[in-house]
Amino acid sequence: MSDVQEATNQLLDVNLDENWRSIQVTGSDPRSESEHLQVTVGATVPTGFEQTAADEVREKLGSSCKISKDRGKIYFDISVESLAQVHCLRSVDNLFVVVKQFKDYQFKETKEEVLKDFEELAGKLPWSDPLKVWKINTSFKKKKTKRKKMNQSSDYYENPAIREEISTLVGDDLASCKDEKDESSKEETHPEVLKFRVTCNRAGEKHCFSSNEAARDFGGAVQDHFKWKADMTNFDVEVLLNIHDNEIVVGIALTEESLHRRNITHFGPTTLRSTLAYGMLRLCAPQPTDIIVDPMCGTGAIPIEGATEWSNCYHIAGDNNPLAVNRAANNISSLLTKSQIKEGKVSWGLPIDAVQWDICNLPLRTGSVDIIVTDMPFGKRMGSKKRNWNLYPACLQEMSRVCRPGTGRAALLTQDKKCFTKALSGMGHVWRKVHTVWVNIGGLHAAVYLLKRTPQAFVHPSEQDKERTPW
Amino acid sequence: MKLLTHNLLSSHVRGVGPRGFPLRLQATEVRINPVEFNPDFVARMIPKVEWAALLEAADTVPKGPIEGYEHDEKFLRQMHHVLLEVDVLEGTLQCPESGRLFPISRGIPNMLLSDEETET
Repeated sequence: MSDVQEATNQLLDVNLDENWRSIQVTGSDPRSESEHLQVTVGATVPTGFEQTAADEVREKLGSSCKISKDRGKIYFDISVESLAQVHCLRSVDNLFVVVKQFKDYQFKETKEEVLKDFEELAGKLPWSDPLKVWKINTSFKKKKTKRKKMNQSSDYYENPAIREEISTLVGDDLASCKDEKDESSKEETHPEVLKFRVTCNRAGEKHCFSSNEAARDFGGAVQDHFKWKADMTNFDVEVLLNIHDNEIVVGIALTEESLHRRNITHFGPTTLRSTLAYGMLRLCAPQPTDIIVDPMCGTGAIPIEGATEWSNCYHIAGDNNPLAVNRAANNISSLLTKSQIKEGKVSWGLPIDAVQWDICNLPLRTGSVDIIVTDMPFGKRMGSKKRNWNLYPACLQEMSRVCRPGTGRAALLTQDKKCFTKALSGMGHVWRKVHTVWVNIGGLHAAVYLLKRTPQAFVHPSEQDKERTPW
Repeated sequence: MKLLTHNLLSSHVRGVGPRGFPLRLQATEVRINPVEFNPDFVARMIPKVEWAALLEAADTVPKGPIEGYEHDEKFLRQMHHVLLEVDVLEGTLQCPESGRLFPISRGIPNMLLSDEETET
């Protein structure tokens, strides 16, 4: 406990200036091995997109990832200075710092013995470094809400501090004035005793205990060890106990709310997670100046994620439902308002537009779109399975018309896999299925189909007009 | 609605085909939004743009991209402004072939056709 306190005091003095990349962790703690603390970070990602997330980590952090057998989790090593950049990852729902990983944990026979082991485990774990990381993470989250004046950097979206802010919910920032007051009073009376809770996720057939029992007993031991106070709702430290068959990972959470709803202020009935939207867009490997269209955009989750992350492309959000288009337009405005608050002066436009249209009859020039990414009606909460039998072939046809032959591609999410496969089977001359990602959407087993547009130019099936020139 | 979007939109009234492009733009309310200038983006977008349509929509556009336009910053800034910064908030788009009007309201063009119009 005193080690933690000492580290805490040191870190509160660290000068957190605006360039996060140059954070130096200087601890006078004699046990710290180097200034450049290396830690293992775990991230939860949408199941099925572990590889896409790993690619993003490699691209942005230079680290390679281990993809866990526990679906939807990836692990990678970073030095603590990169913590700000980790928060900028867009394929990640939640982040945690790993305290200890057991690849093949040996569970004893009886429940009592297993739970006793967990109790004893608490005191033996290497908490010190992960807690330092947690501390740094918490303190720069607090500083972030205080900072209003930003770098007048022309490379606005490249500034990691800005990107980190963009990755929080709009609500946070719009209420930042209130937060500022709360934060300063919090810091003055910095509590000696931290509040914590343990969250246990357990998956596997052969366990003789429940997640609640494990959380309770492990939590009790953690409390004894640190003399922290247990609080289920208003906690400072969230300890994670993830058990998947024989693999156990103990971690400390670095994110409070899931990042996955970050860009959306106006929700619709079936709003897609931003992390999933990011994964789908990334699958298509957008190139600079690509025209990216979501012809059934709903609340606009996909184009908005696109405009934020791939601002050197042009995004169009379209839907036939006026409610949906309005929500999308509102979400776009919220994004602009947020940028306005940051920047302080001008309103920065974004490369994104909204149009009301019919997917089966798109008012777009033939072959003008590079990428189509959309969340097709599942036929559960929106539309119906019966409607899909007519809708899907019409969609695929019209999408093949507007999509650029040869280089165009599409990432289409649907739960109605049977209908989709049937609809696609008649379109081999224009669409080639390249990859399928199996995903889980609110308990439903869905798929993202990655399609490539063949080089064949679009010919209208019922076109009789001899004068029609391909255009 | 930005002019780059206008450049991609085409009338899909039955029987009109490629003659539905470009839609005639009548703007009654326009807003200028500063957008971060990215010369690379503009330079690469130029070949994708239908120039004649752009000329019709905006009156401050040069006759065509000149030789070496990729390095002409003045030209690129002009194009950047036209393509990305001009936002039509209210107005109409008209199909050049059928005359059908599509309204633009609060920056969003409504391109939906009625059931009769979409029937073969």
